[in-house]
Amino acid sequence: MAPILEITGVVKRFGGVAAVNRVSLALEPGRIHGLIGPNGSGKTTLFNCITGVETRDEGEIQFKGHRIDGMRPHQVFHLGIGRTFQVIRVFPELTALENLMVVTTSSYAPARQRAVELLSFVKLERLAHEYAGNLSYGQQKLVEFVRVLMTDPELILLDEPAAGVNRTLLNELLDAVRALRDRGKTVLLVEHDMKVVMGLCETVFVLDHGEKLAEGAPGVIQSDERVIEAYFGR
Amino acid sequence: MTRGLYAALAVVVIGLALYPMEATGYGIRFMLQLFMWIALAQSWNLISGLTGYVSFGHVAFFGMGAYTAGILIAKLGWPWLVASLAGGIMAMVLALVIGWPCLRLKGPYFAISMLGLNEVLRVAVSYYEGLTGGGNGLSLPTLYASVQIYYVMGLLALGVTALAYVIITSRFGLRLMTIREDEVAAEAMGIDTFRYKVYAFLLSAVAPGIAGGLAARDQGYIEPISVFPLITTITMIVMALFGGQGTIWGPVLGAVALFTLQELVWARFPYIHPLLFGAIIVAVVLMMPRGILGVLQQKYNLPRTI
Repeated sequence: MAPILEITGVVKRFGGVAAVNRVSLALEPGRIHGLIGPNGSGKTTLFNCITGVETRDEGEIQFKGHRIDGMRPHQVFHLGIGRTFQVIRVFPELTALENLMVVTTSSYAPARQRAVELLSFVKLERLAHEYAGNLSYGQQKLVEFVRVLMTDPELILLDEPAAGVNRTLLNELLDAVRALRDRGKTVLLVEHDMKVVMGLCETVFVLDHGEKLAEGAPGVIQSDERVIEAYFGR
Repeated sequence: MTRGLYAALAVVVIGLALYPMEATGYGIRFMLQLFMWIALAQSWNLISGLTGYVSFGHVAFFGMGAYTAGILIAKLGWPWLVASLAGGIMAMVLALVIGWPCLRLKGPYFAISMLGLNEVLRVAVSYYEGLTGGGNGLSLPTLYASVQIYYVMGLLALGVTALAYVIITSRFGLRLMTIREDEVAAEAMGIDTFRYKVYAFLLSAVAPGIAGGLAARDQGYIEPISVFPLITTITMIVMALFGGQGTIWGPVLGAVALFTLQELVWARFPYIHPLLFGAIIVAVVLMMPRGILGVLQQKYNLPRTI
């Protein structure tokens, strides 16, 4: 099947440092992909390049066959790519419900209905009218997660969804991600928790110093010499 | 509770509509200026209170309106109401011209560029003497229209507050607030932040432009330093901050409280006035950055309509 997202030779430099260096990868539709690598290996920068938060210096990014590099973030979002952030970025002085409501351009009543459904989906309907800033860390993380789903994007980028989330909540989150996949959505997630990556992802990409080190099924990646070296040293 | 509030508001509006029948000249002037401050503080609130982009040169729109209306009245003999509305339109044009480049800047740089805009306009007006009268100012033909201007200024204050109500209770307003809360996240969630900022900026410029025209007509004489003073911008900011920026009634509350206080007390101690204003800014920023209404809303979990 044709890849839903195709990244070809993308380079992003900050000053003299290439944070992302000629990275090429392709995401298969309807699968969960993992993006791993040590700190500073360029994972978040690559996310930012895909979503238009950063402009790539070289290379091409295609979504469903259309170039999206050079587009602004809101344009990329409306094409069907949603993301969450490594550090929580809910709108603290908006209520949980409003956090979801602002995202979609559909008319008020259906938007509200969808927002309520999504909040119930993560069992937050009781807190719909609470300011997002007053919610706990885990609850904010859930609000951010369902906020992305408001427009039903085809590709979902999750930046460390498991970080700082307790076990119970984490399992719910992972079930939700699988449910999305089962509905045909494509997922790319950055994660440091190897158990999560290995248990959830069907394909894993490894970045190190901005370059793609390896790519493959989780089992293969786990025993790859170069990957072990990148993480633990020689 | 909300219903009671709006019933009270209706009574106040009717009372103010009947007020000129009983009022003294001083009373009319006082209320007229109060209306003007409500319109100015509320307009500043639309851009800065909602999006967090602090406009430090909002008086530029006031001055633009004053000179547009002044020139149209003095040189072309336009009726003052039409001339003032033209002042509002010219203020919007100015907002578009300045906002298009400057709203791409991040917060603090935007604030400074707006401060610069005001100074540039003041100098430009002083320079083009043929049109503006330069430093000598511009005199308008004598006309006694305080009561009419009272009504128009009152409608303006009411209109901007109604506009704030419509915006703040809509998703358009919520999206403006997402820019204040986290602009990067707003962009990533599909909100065209630049376009929203431009809309808010245009809406925030129109009432100061009209108010400038009305003030020019009311005073009968304008000069660069009287319509472009930095203190006017600071006053509207303090009023909005004091009452509660980003709320519907905060700027109204702030304007009523501070303007009344200014007239009653500070007029007797002119040198203390700027000092007190500075002290209020510091106190508000340190102790209640959300202002009176913001604190109450947060504490009692009040809806945005209060």
